Amino acid sequence: MGAGLRTWLNVIVLSFSFVIIIFMKGVMIGWDHQAKTDMTNWEIGGGQYWYKDYDPLDPFSLNESHAPVPAEVAEEIARGDMEPFLIVPGTIYPQGRLQSIVIKGINPGQSLFLLPSHKLDTITEAIPAIIGSSMAKNIKAKVGDRITIRWRDVNGTFDAGEILITEIFSTGVPAVESGQIYIPLKKLQQMMIMPGEATILTFRDSEINRPEIDNWTLRTKGDLTASVDKMIKTKTAGQTILYGILLLLAMLAIFDTQVLSIFRRQKEIGTYIALGYTRQQVVGLFTVEGTMHAILAALLSAAYGLPFLVWMAKTGWTMPIDTSEFGIAIAQTLYPLYSAGLVFSTVLIVTTVTAIVSYWPSRRIAKMNPTDALRGKLQ
Amino acid sequence: MGKGEFTALNGIELLFTTGEFAGLIGPSGSGKTTLLNIIGSLDTPTSGDAVVLGKSISSLSAKEAARLRKENLGFIFQSYNLLAVHTVYENVEFPLLLLNYSSSERRKMVMDALEWVGLTDKVRSKPPQLSGGECQRVAIARAIVKKPSLVLADEPTANLDAANSHNILQTMVTLNKELKTTFLFATHDDKVISYLRRKIFLLDGTVDREEIKSN
Repeated sequence: MGAGLRTWLNVIVLSFSFVIIIFMKGVMIGWDHQAKTDMTNWEIGGGQYWYKDYDPLDPFSLNESHAPVPAEVAEEIARGDMEPFLIVPGTIYPQGRLQSIVIKGINPGQSLFLLPSHKLDTITEAIPAIIGSSMAKNIKAKVGDRITIRWRDVNGTFDAGEILITEIFSTGVPAVESGQIYIPLKKLQQMMIMPGEATILTFRDSEINRPEIDNWTLRTKGDLTASVDKMIKTKTAGQTILYGILLLLAMLAIFDTQVLSIFRRQKEIGTYIALGYTRQQVVGLFTVEGTMHAILAALLSAAYGLPFLVWMAKTGWTMPIDTSEFGIAIAQTLYPLYSAGLVFSTVLIVTTVTAIVSYWPSRRIAKMNPTDALRGKLQ
Repeated sequence: MGKGEFTALNGIELLFTTGEFAGLIGPSGSGKTTLLNIIGSLDTPTSGDAVVLGKSISSLSAKEAARLRKENLGFIFQSYNLLAVHTVYENVEFPLLLLNYSSSERRKMVMDALEWVGLTDKVRSKPPQLSGGECQRVAIARAIVKKPSLVLADEPTANLDAANSHNILQTMVTLNKELKTTFLFATHDDKVISYLRRKIFLLDGTVDREEIKSN
């Protein structure tokens, strides 16, 4: 195989690494951004106050997790910059089956979330309710369906009624729909005999320095999105292995090429030394030459990778399976996000690794006897 | 095969003066290339010393030896050792790049050198496009472009036919006279030997005899 062909094969493999690394990293950054944006828009706003006993992972805590909305936030609520939620356990009976659910009371006029709560502002003898598409699929419900619901009020008395599904919404945040129904806040307070009470308070602005409120725990946006960060970190670690394998393949090829090049170009090396190069300078020359693989690969990547990356950023990467069942905040279509930092850092890392791999076999030159090299006698 | 020691040169005492056109003559294994490599600071003697242009080869560091070669020595090899991917111009220009000459200086010096060897019409050609004689003339131009004090030529005509050999040797004789450059050959080619003014015959690593041609 000719040196030129070998060089181009190396460059092509390396350019694949560039494009795949930037694409996959872009997907992760896009996912992270999308997940946090979706969580902000659908679930956590700019942060929340949780009533002291509230634990979203413990349904039994819900019975005790409610208290009157504190007076300190009344003005913010009136402005629409804070929304109280009352969260209680309940049961529904879709098609005769029993299913435990969480009932969330939400203000129908809220503008803090993308939840179509205005669909709760309906005059009906049944309790208007909105549910997520995944939940609807699970209970085989559609808009207009009526389902029996049972709850237990603050005094421990069981009561039952009927909900009317007024809207089914789609979201990339499973935490806002899985096993949940949304009904008007005031209706829920009335059902539970908990007038003016709430379980969590979600505020709009994450930048304001929030005061401490007795019996309510402040959860900043950072606290609430920490799970996403952890998940992305774990996924990124897994992806790093893939990058490592890709780079390893490219580097093996470059290493091999360098070894072969040094073996085949002994006379040239000897000539450089005879002309006045020090051996270290020749090592430098071969290292630079090897590193040029990365530069060429970056240029090649720009030629075919840029259109691909831009196209993916516009059309997104649609998951082949239904992501709503993943249980994590992930949209059906992920839109990769690339930054100049991502591109430059990838080019820098790959170029540095290539330089090291090119330098490694080139060190042999420093040990070469120039007279043997001139005659091409080295083995 | 073991790693037994082999004495390539033994008891050599030679003195060369500026402007000589001398040759180390002998059969294969007589030590002529080894001696040429030592003088060219590509090799060092295990004992004894070679003093080239006032510098002791044995005590030179690798960096100092590279500097000596870069500034003062020119090499001509049997197989030309041209850089195949570069043009004739670039091959001849290479030693000047190492010496940090300006672009305009380099251009003048390269064109002068190519004129000396009669290759001004081949500046854009690459070595694979040239004949053996032309390649060796490029190698000569590369060796003399920086006007070194000493040119070392190892079997420079071994790959050339008689006509080309004489042509090359005539060129070197002319350069020797015009530039006062010292030429030292390692050869066993009669054509080269006939041009030498000083002939040093080596046999088994020792000087067998020496002949000096009277003018």
